[in-house]
Amino acid sequence: MKKISIILFLIMLLSLTTVVANSMEITFWTHEDPNRTEIEERYIAEFEQENPGVTIKRVTSGSGQIQELVLTAFAANQGPDIFNMSIEDEYAYIVNERLSPVDYAACGYPSLQAIYDAYLPGVLDPVTYQGKLYGLPLELTNWCIYINKKIFREVGLDPEKDYPKTWEEMMEVSDKLAIREGEILKRRGFDFRYPYYLVSWIPMVEQLGGKLISDDGKTAIVNEDAWIKVLDYMKEWGPNGRNLGSPTYTNARKLFNMDNNDIAMCLSGLYQQGRIKADNPEFYESGEWMIVPFPIFENAVQDVPCAYYGHYYMVNGQKPVENQQMAWKFIAYMLSHPEEYLTKVNLIQPTKKLIESDTYRSIPYSDVFRDDMAKGHIVYYGANSAKIQSLIKEAIETVMLTDTSSSDALQTLKRKVQEVLEED
Amino acid sequence: MQNRWLKKEKKYSFSSQVINVLIWGCLILMALFILMPTLFMFTASFMPASDILKMPYRWIPKDFYWKNYWQGIKGNDGSFIYIRNIFNSLIVAIVVSISTVILSALAGFGLAKYSFKGRSLVFMMIMGTMMIPFEAIMIPLYLVATKLRLQDSYPGLILPFLVNAFGIFLMRQFFITFPDEILDAARIDGASEFMIFRTIILPNSIPAIATLAILTFKAQWDNLLWPLLVVQSEEMKTIPLYIIKFMAEKHTDEGAMMAVAAIASIPILVVFFKLSKYFLSGAALYSSRKG
Amino acid sequence: MSKKKLIYSIERQKARWGWIFVAPSLIFFSLFSFYPIFTAFYTSLFKKKLLSLKPPDFIALGNYLYLLKSPDFWNSMRATIVFTLGTFIPILVFSLILAIFISSRKRFQNFLQLAYYSPAVLSSVVAAVIWLLIFDPRGLGNQWLNFLFRSPGVDHKWLANSIMVQLSTMLVYFWKYVGYFTIIFIVGLASIPQSIYEAAKIDGGNDWKNFWYITLPLLKPTTILVSIISMLQCLRTFSTQYLFTQGGAPLAPINVITLNIYHTAIRDHQIGRASAMSIILFIIMMLFTWIQFKTSRADEISY
Repeated sequence: MKKISIILFLIMLLSLTTVVANSMEITFWTHEDPNRTEIEERYIAEFEQENPGVTIKRVTSGSGQIQELVLTAFAANQGPDIFNMSIEDEYAYIVNERLSPVDYAACGYPSLQAIYDAYLPGVLDPVTYQGKLYGLPLELTNWCIYINKKIFREVGLDPEKDYPKTWEEMMEVSDKLAIREGEILKRRGFDFRYPYYLVSWIPMVEQLGGKLISDDGKTAIVNEDAWIKVLDYMKEWGPNGRNLGSPTYTNARKLFNMDNNDIAMCLSGLYQQGRIKADNPEFYESGEWMIVPFPIFENAVQDVPCAYYGHYYMVNGQKPVENQQMAWKFIAYMLSHPEEYLTKVNLIQPTKKLIESDTYRSIPYSDVFRDDMAKGHIVYYGANSAKIQSLIKEAIETVMLTDTSSSDALQTLKRKVQEVLEED
Repeated sequence: MQNRWLKKEKKYSFSSQVINVLIWGCLILMALFILMPTLFMFTASFMPASDILKMPYRWIPKDFYWKNYWQGIKGNDGSFIYIRNIFNSLIVAIVVSISTVILSALAGFGLAKYSFKGRSLVFMMIMGTMMIPFEAIMIPLYLVATKLRLQDSYPGLILPFLVNAFGIFLMRQFFITFPDEILDAARIDGASEFMIFRTIILPNSIPAIATLAILTFKAQWDNLLWPLLVVQSEEMKTIPLYIIKFMAEKHTDEGAMMAVAAIASIPILVVFFKLSKYFLSGAALYSSRKG
Repeated sequence: MSKKKLIYSIERQKARWGWIFVAPSLIFFSLFSFYPIFTAFYTSLFKKKLLSLKPPDFIALGNYLYLLKSPDFWNSMRATIVFTLGTFIPILVFSLILAIFISSRKRFQNFLQLAYYSPAVLSSVVAAVIWLLIFDPRGLGNQWLNFLFRSPGVDHKWLANSIMVQLSTMLVYFWKYVGYFTIIFIVGLASIPQSIYEAAKIDGGNDWKNFWYITLPLLKPTTILVSIISMLQCLRTFSTQYLFTQGGAPLAPINVITLNIYHTAIRDHQIGRASAMSIILFIIMMLFTWIQFKTSRADEISY
């Protein structure tokens, strides 16, 4: 009896290893996005059918968490085959040589140059390092202001005319839209997108002539006056100032979709339309929402809208070469459906063909995003951009949620960012 | 466990009655303070998000909003991964409890009932590990785990907690009072040492074992830091990680959040009320420790 | 075989079994406690980055010198000490008082013990999630305080003020553990022999005197024990602070040392520096445990 079971077990083991030998598993880590999951699961099924023996394991995690997950996995040399994050989080992987360069043949392009030619000029620069290309864009996104027209009208404002064009107006309008009970805020006008300061907050500093890092890359925090002005603005925005919002409240763009009279404006990308449609189809159909450009300060010296960021699909360079090739082939397969990504998920894959297509033009308010993007620049990225962003987060939260003065917070920020710059 | 210093007032004077009322007042207020948040969790888990942060808070849900539980189990991405995560938490906590009990009993027995050269040194060394806080070794432990390719697996979650110094100490204290005569009698009957352990020691130490198992289970149920480091995939997450993911970026519906928290709490609360005497005696063990 | 020899061989046999019983645990501790703490020390001497595949540079005590000069590190020390003192003193005082009150009751003793203990079994993540909602400006925290102080509409800024956010983390910890330590005190109280009180009664002592001159001194071992356990627990706090900062609370006031270690390693990729901080935490805890052993030896009381 014992012998038989041992033999059976060995047979099982053997069959298992043969299965393993003939198959290839590609792990694919990405952030949560229900609309995207739907279409990508379909691409996976199609791709697996065309390539027998290949299985694609798609794993999603929260968009605030994936950075740590990918990092700890890579530190353990156990990273996924394919992943995507925002470029400011991904750049460190390029610099640390952890990635596989794009395999243009596996992607179905005749040459590397052909890839550059297919995309809008400049959008592949962030993933080009020492002459090699390390990623293909899943999306290129910038954020504008979403407005709930009903709430505007309720307080006697005409959304089409009275929408905030400057940050000063933003504060006034939000104050009008807010509902309070004593000091307790029950409805917010606008609120920021707190953890993503490099994308949406640094441009505010730049509008006033400030800069995160000097052009020669050696000095952090250029033009302190501009920084202090914007930090003061945040202080005034927060609960210790005019009490218009704070990072401790529920995420603004989530509440916006609910249309529960909790918030009147939020900052988000074109993809928010897809999320509204999914979360609250009634609100989406009602047309009671609109999108306006990113505000600028009254005395701005530069017209800088919200920065745009890219999510790039990247491939782990430590996997076997066959895996790397298959991974690129699969990425290229997913990316061969840009129109579906646009219509179903509202993600913009910045190929020349797509931006010039009628599909793009027919998306509501796509012109607002396009015009802002034309004026803007890509988000700051570098080997340490994730750390710098968390330092900015600390500074803003300190200013908004404690009694620390803007100039003290700025000095701390400057010292820390400078230290990060000098470390490498 | 009765009254020590306010006991048996013969004459119920006015002032002693006032004191009596005051003490009851304090105890009830404190009980309210302590029970409110748990109660809040359960009531809020049956409300739509818009009712939870309404002022004033209505303690009784208008109608039971089960959708929260559905949403919590389904998850934001509809993958139902929470069920798997609960299962993971159970597996890890159960395996760790079993191994802690067995290894602690073995080592505690060895230290209590066998004299061998270097015993006190071994005992000191084991007690010394209590001084090493997990937080201090988590980074090197993480590097070890990654070198052994243990991350994102059950062994990775379980191995660092197989046994702990407190458990060994507890079992040793328990065995020290065990009469030597019984052991010697068994030896004369020809029982091997391991037999003695299995047939005499273990059956006679059920209360201590139950207490240790329960305390270990509770500690593992609550473990956050290590899984945070060692787990990457959704399939391997434990309950605390799921909750963190669920609340990430303050993106989640508050009602569903409370439903998730309630689901995570119900098993441990049931165990607590069913086996409360072991929980309470677990605390008692602290008091009775003598070096 | 002489009798002496027989006893000797039995003793040797027993000694062998002693080792066999202890061996699994010893192997475990060498792998998962001693080895990591040595590697932690070893790593703390290098400038090691998490993502880099290059061999790390040896910088001797560089990481320690950096930490001693870093305001961030000292802020973490401050946050940890403030949290520890601010949590364990109220816990100690309240759990002692509650234990005495509960012990003096004839009814509902069991119910009160269970009720007070119950938060300790909830996971700290659940606790933080519940309290984050209570601390929302529209949440129960403001409602209760405004009801008590009859001050409608005041926002107490539970998470939006550097002092309040520290108090809030302390409150969560207090809520979770006060009942647990109450139980320990109740057991300690129960172990004081009734005869001592009866003797005191004959001497004409009243309740108040009994408390000061009998209960409190006899509770000293329990008190020391409770304070050491709770202090060590507070020094290691992580979940509450981690979740609060995830929930939007400002980091600096509650950036306790464990949180700093986690961020330094995972967010900043500085493994060497994080290890140095771990070693410092280890030394602090060792100091506390040493004090525990010292004081508990000196205070052993026989009834």
